[in-house]
Amino acid sequence: MRVGLIASLTGHAVVLLWGLIAFPDVRSFTTPPVDSLPVELVPVEELTRLQKGEKDAEIRDVAALNPTEKPKEEPVKPADKPDKAAVEQPTPPTPEPAPAPEPAPAPTPVAEPEPAPAPEAAAEPEPAPAEKAPEPAPEAAAPEPIQTKVVPRVKPKPPRPTQTAEKPKEKDFKPNEIAALLNKVEPKGASSSSTDPASLGSRLSQDSNVKMSQSELDALRGQISRCWNPPVGAVGAESLNVRVRIELDRSGEVSGSPEVLNSNSNPAFRAAASSAVRAVMRCAPYTLPASKYEAWQEVIMNFDPREMVGG
Amino acid sequence: MNELVQSTLAAQDGGISFFALFWQAHIVVKIVMVGLIAASVWCWAIILDKSLLMGRTKRQMNRFETVFWSGQSLEELYGTLHHRTNYSMAALFVAAMREWKRSHEGAKPAIGSLQQRIDRVMDVTIQREAERLENRLLVLATVGSAAPFIGLFGTVWGIMTAFQAIAASDSTNLAVVAPGIAEALFATALGLLAAIPAVIAYNKFASDVGKAVGRMEGFADEFSAILSRQIDERS
Repeated sequence: MRVGLIASLTGHAVVLLWGLIAFPDVRSFTTPPVDSLPVELVPVEELTRLQKGEKDAEIRDVAALNPTEKPKEEPVKPADKPDKAAVEQPTPPTPEPAPAPEPAPAPTPVAEPEPAPAPEAAAEPEPAPAEKAPEPAPEAAAPEPIQTKVVPRVKPKPPRPTQTAEKPKEKDFKPNEIAALLNKVEPKGASSSSTDPASLGSRLSQDSNVKMSQSELDALRGQISRCWNPPVGAVGAESLNVRVRIELDRSGEVSGSPEVLNSNSNPAFRAAASSAVRAVMRCAPYTLPASKYEAWQEVIMNFDPREMVGG
Repeated sequence: MNELVQSTLAAQDGGISFFALFWQAHIVVKIVMVGLIAASVWCWAIILDKSLLMGRTKRQMNRFETVFWSGQSLEELYGTLHHRTNYSMAALFVAAMREWKRSHEGAKPAIGSLQQRIDRVMDVTIQREAERLENRLLVLATVGSAAPFIGLFGTVWGIMTAFQAIAASDSTNLAVVAPGIAEALFATALGLLAAIPAVIAYNKFASDVGKAVGRMEGFADEFSAILSRQIDERS
């Protein structure tokens, strides 16, 4: 028995020693470097917030779609002011170069107040018209690395896009282009701060930064339209446009009674107005993002039979 | 609880070597590990001892059988064997022959129930030999069945304390979690390390003992037949 015990002890000691030698250099996993895809968390309303526009406005390509690559290929001449090169890119996706049919009484050329700071960021106070764009481009044809100073992607948006401009340029991910593509949505109906008839939106939201995104507005609209029986049978029903101001409390309940803002000589208007009010009352409470209560505290809802019937 | 946190967090720079795994472990896990290592040592000691014993027994039986069936007279064989301590078949033969001799020593030989006495003596000897061969095999069986559970207990305990430490450190980073779980799993590894050879060896030795006992029983039957013939011839 003693022989076995001694042999066993030696064997275990040998195995332990081997373990001491073999185990410490456990190789750590080699993680191959992965090209990180820059992902930005952008509030959805930046992309879905629509500009004020005309219903019959034509669909336009938004400018500044691909100027991001131009300064990289053709460096700017040293004498050239970098400002000009910067100016030709940020041509904002605003209706400035919009076609003429815009009526005179809508003088505010830009729906959002933001475009004003954007040209300042480009160090040139005058807003750059689209016609000016081709002019600086040919000048920008001499090798000089100074153009890296040029902020290539200034957009009439909150300061976030400038951060994206500083990111590595070799990435294919171009948030500006995506935003531009998304902005190609036909401008229709929605406005946040103009005096024109707004289908939906709060009067209080002019001073605050809180804005409802289009998807959230659509959600509210969908909630209400489910309960609405449009007066389809009335004479001239498609002209029975009812604007109702609704005040909501934080739980989404209607506080007070909805107020009909417009009037019409059509005898069926009273029925249409009361059906709209009933729809508002019946569908309460509404589920809306609580963090944006300022935006939907007071909502002006446009009950347009032509739109709501269809969708 | 703070100790747990520190021991788990300290594991990050301690590495994964055997000693590091051992020293970082909780005291219960340490006891389990030490016990399992001791069980493994003891098991291997038994295994080595038994394999030597089995080989020796087999050789002795082979040698005795060749001598026994070589035509040598039983008296002579008994004369050479009965002075030393004998094992297995030789012990069987010596026990039977001693009973035979004693029965013929007196003035009046007690041959009447000699056959039964010889059978009984040989049975007892077979039992004693089997017991000698099976000795400590039960340890192997116990370790083989219990060591995994003991190791599992150490693992469960280690993971429990690791999770407590994770909860206290407010971090679910894998670098914090991994050392505690590694040290816990080390206990199961030791349990399996002790159990697997024990189970295999137990099965092998149990069948070896069965074979040896069967062989001895066969020899006892044959020898009993020879003695019975002698008794009948003399009476």
